[in-house]
Amino acid sequence: MSMQSSEEAAFVQDEVSSIVKESIDQVMQIATYNHAKVPQWTSDVIETCMKKLTLLNKPFKYIVTCAIMQRTGAGLHMASSCYWDNTSDGSVTQKWENKTCYCIVTVFGLAI
Amino acid sequence: PISTGAVVKASRAEGGWRLAQQVVPSMPTEPEHALRPLHKNRFSTTAAKDIINEVLETKLKDKTYNAELTSQWSRDIADEIKMKLKALELPRYKYVVNVAIGEQRGEGIRIGCRCFWDSDVDAYADSTYKNDSLFCSAIAFGVYLY
Repeated sequence: MSMQSSEEAAFVQDEVSSIVKESIDQVMQIATYNHAKVPQWTSDVIETCMKKLTLLNKPFKYIVTCAIMQRTGAGLHMASSCYWDNTSDGSVTQKWENKTCYCIVTVFGLAI
Repeated sequence: PISTGAVVKASRAEGGWRLAQQVVPSMPTEPEHALRPLHKNRFSTTAAKDIINEVLETKLKDKTYNAELTSQWSRDIADEIKMKLKALELPRYKYVVNVAIGEQRGEGIRIGCRCFWDSDVDAYADSTYKNDSLFCSAIAFGVYLY
């Protein structure tokens, strides 16, 4: 059984990072925090990200998380702990903000 | 000696048949190349949810939001949940645990996630904990390695 070359099968952080940034900009550009619209925005950001990631056609399973929070001066801490194969799996977190809200998107890619 | 999966050998000697070896049915075990886990080895949402609830309850019971310590708490909680999931000893599973702790100031927050995986073998479990000064959202994903 031939093994795939390591570049093809590893999680490429830069590529995924730029995809995530593009997706957030696309959806959240003109958004002011609006409680009713937030569920729609989170879904849109995640779906846009997911579509672009699947177009990469890599042998990966993806988990995309998005958190949108109102800017009231409150603090938020996010942490993640993963049990996986360091050589092939990875994650990327992108933070985006405007005057009224924060948007944090994390993508975990796990090789199959 | 009795060995699992051994073939029955019966020999015909004078006076009738004699059983040389006995067949012992072997328990189904996962072969090295399994594409699917056995049903008892699947990631169980309910078991994982209980683990998360337990960890959040013990770690955050009487705590108040504190800007310096909360970042340490979130890391500790994520590591503890991951260790407990490892202790379940599900073979060939990878785990990802995400924890978010925020201050309760009446702000709105929405956390969503979507996964591109094999829903037959992969699953997730999530839970939130709230008290007067903080809220915590923890989610654990279990992904099978083929």
